[in-house]
Amino acid sequence: MITYDAIVIGSGITGGWAAKELTEKGLATLVIERGRNVEHRKDYITEHKPSWELPLRNARLAVGTRGAEEYPIQARTGQFHESVKHFFIKDHRNPYIEDKPFTWIQGDQVGGKSLIWGRQVYRWSDLDFEANLRDGHGVDWPIRYADVAPWYSYVERFIGVSGEKLGLPQLPDGEFQPPMEMNAGEKFVKAGLERAFPDRRFTIGRVAILTQPLNDRLPCHYCGPCERGCSTGSYFSSQASTLPAARATGRLTIVPDSVVHSLIYDAAKSRVTGVRVVDTTTKQTREYSGRLVFLCASTLATTRVLLNSKSPSFPNGLANSSGVLGHYLMDHHFRAGASGTIEGLLDHYYQGNRPNGIYVPRFRNLGDEASRRGDYVRGFGYQGGASRQNWARGAGEPGFGVELKRKLHDPGRWTMGMTGFGECLPRADNHVELAEQTDEFGIPVLRIHCTWGENELAMRKDMAASAAEMLEAAGCKDVRTNDAYREGGLGAEPGLGIHEMGTARMGRDPRTSVLNGHNQAHDVPNLFVTDGACMASSSCVNPSITYMALTARACDYAVAESKRGNL
Amino acid sequence: MSRNTISRRRALQQVALLLGGAISAPTVAGVFSTATRRAWAASPAWAPRTLSAAQLELVATLAEHIVPQTETPGARAAGVHRFVDTLLTDHYPAAERDRFLTGLAGVDAQAQSHYGKRFAESAAAQQVALLRELDAAAYAATRGEDAWFFRRMKELTLVGYYTSEIGAMQELRVSPFGTYRGDIPYTSIGRAWA
Repeated sequence: MITYDAIVIGSGITGGWAAKELTEKGLATLVIERGRNVEHRKDYITEHKPSWELPLRNARLAVGTRGAEEYPIQARTGQFHESVKHFFIKDHRNPYIEDKPFTWIQGDQVGGKSLIWGRQVYRWSDLDFEANLRDGHGVDWPIRYADVAPWYSYVERFIGVSGEKLGLPQLPDGEFQPPMEMNAGEKFVKAGLERAFPDRRFTIGRVAILTQPLNDRLPCHYCGPCERGCSTGSYFSSQASTLPAARATGRLTIVPDSVVHSLIYDAAKSRVTGVRVVDTTTKQTREYSGRLVFLCASTLATTRVLLNSKSPSFPNGLANSSGVLGHYLMDHHFRAGASGTIEGLLDHYYQGNRPNGIYVPRFRNLGDEASRRGDYVRGFGYQGGASRQNWARGAGEPGFGVELKRKLHDPGRWTMGMTGFGECLPRADNHVELAEQTDEFGIPVLRIHCTWGENELAMRKDMAASAAEMLEAAGCKDVRTNDAYREGGLGAEPGLGIHEMGTARMGRDPRTSVLNGHNQAHDVPNLFVTDGACMASSSCVNPSITYMALTARACDYAVAESKRGNL
Repeated sequence: MSRNTISRRRALQQVALLLGGAISAPTVAGVFSTATRRAWAASPAWAPRTLSAAQLELVATLAEHIVPQTETPGARAAGVHRFVDTLLTDHYPAAERDRFLTGLAGVDAQAQSHYGKRFAESAAAQQVALLRELDAAAYAATRGEDAWFFRRMKELTLVGYYTSEIGAMQELRVSPFGTYRGDIPYTSIGRAWA
């Protein structure tokens, strides 16, 4: 059997980065992917299809619809449409048990969710890395912004990020390409909001979409639906960016259609020596041998692999001497905000489908007295946008015939909406464990227990109220708050943010954390976890770029340690 | 081929040039090939899979009243009734499909009670008069089952029409690929993007 220098489990956002970094540093690397192969360009089967070529006209495939029959969980997200269903997992291939509603959205292909992600990228700051230490929730991060900042820059230069520099301590600037433009409605709200709240900013989204060429990738052509795949490579995906770089080294091997069952552990050496996989087509078991293992399978899939890797040394799961593996699951809570209309500006319009919105950086609990809240800790940011109503408004108003058709010939009034993305505290009782039940590949499924706590629910009230307050102050009309959370129901349940993180957290103390400050398992020196599972807190910003930076940093450390003979 | 179709093709060609051929030729050609264009058009062999011939005609008649032919084609020419049949067959859960079919039957029942004829066989003025009743009831403060049906019918007509090639490219405009301009005079476009 070949022994690879490194095995990377998963080919999504972090797996792709690990593959690129490790191969570029000279390691013969095997990437194991549970899903099918997806080839850049060729397999973007709905890209640039006009609406009338889609039989359901790109309908949202909600729970209960015929097209969602194999996707009862995936259909819970509003992202699940006719044109992209082939990039989501069929739920029978990844069953799990939810004690309370928890929505686990997964890709099932080479590239993982990097093909369909939201592409919003924001750096963490020390407000985030010091949060656990400051308020006592969770364990202190073993790293600070200064440890990650150069890696953020390294990642941004490679993936390409467009955005506006703001000079805010809570949202550090990065290596940005020119920002996308706001539309007239957004410019109106920005002016009014920043006038009324001089301490708050309203900016265009920082997004991993090119506005200038980068290597062989072209700037965005504004067709709109990135999630169908992009032949110009204008947004960051494993297919467009990291996997081609890894492939170019000649040291990359990818095996798709192979779900990892468990890691193989050698107690005598205290090292992982390989990976046991199940071929998803034949259901046969295979093993691969490697000197170094990077787990990048996505937060819960990674923790499931560790929990299922039991041995006499680790009866409760590999690298779990602390007992915290599976605990401190988090997600961002969202879908609480406000919307309103803007009077006038009817002589203003826009052209092109900008795959990006606006962003309002966190302005609560920044460490000063003015921003301090008594009812919750941590904070939230807003995402949203303005647009003119389209033809769909006709269904909500009386009238039909020539008069209706004439009316819908023109766009309607401007509307503006914002939803908060709130930080979630790390709590031990939000956890996953292995159930008795196994999936069709013979792997025990996860039982997931996760709820929002008092802090999240108190924050949501402010997320809705502050959005309304700002929109009104900015001059919007008909302002209404919204909050989709229903206790025990669907709408804003944990998991729906698709920012699930934690369960194999980093920390300073091996007794209370799984990973050290380099994403290395305290218990197993040649095992690294660099996807969302590693997170010790959640911040309120979209997490992917932090995962990328941590992955690149961990690869650098792992290869250096390997050369020193320490792995 | 309309001017808008040409502008869409030009836009795609520009993107293809930008790409240096990165979009495969079939992707670009596929949008405009004779075979594709024929596939968009109603095939003589097309037959409804859920609606009966009479129900199909009723849907087409209702849809054409909601979005009629003007200087551009209306809902019937855009094939809204075929889209509705597709949705009922391939998208709607059984209960929702049946609710819609019941609503359709209700329109005929009302036409029968008003005019002694099924809706599609009533005079055009009678059809419009009944639709005015349905539309008023659909947006009244207190609403019944008829309201659900009529609002749904209107929604399906608008989706089916404005996402069709006719609705998107002849009646409205499809935003060309290439650049994003966040703030332009509306008069420079002159109609809504589809």
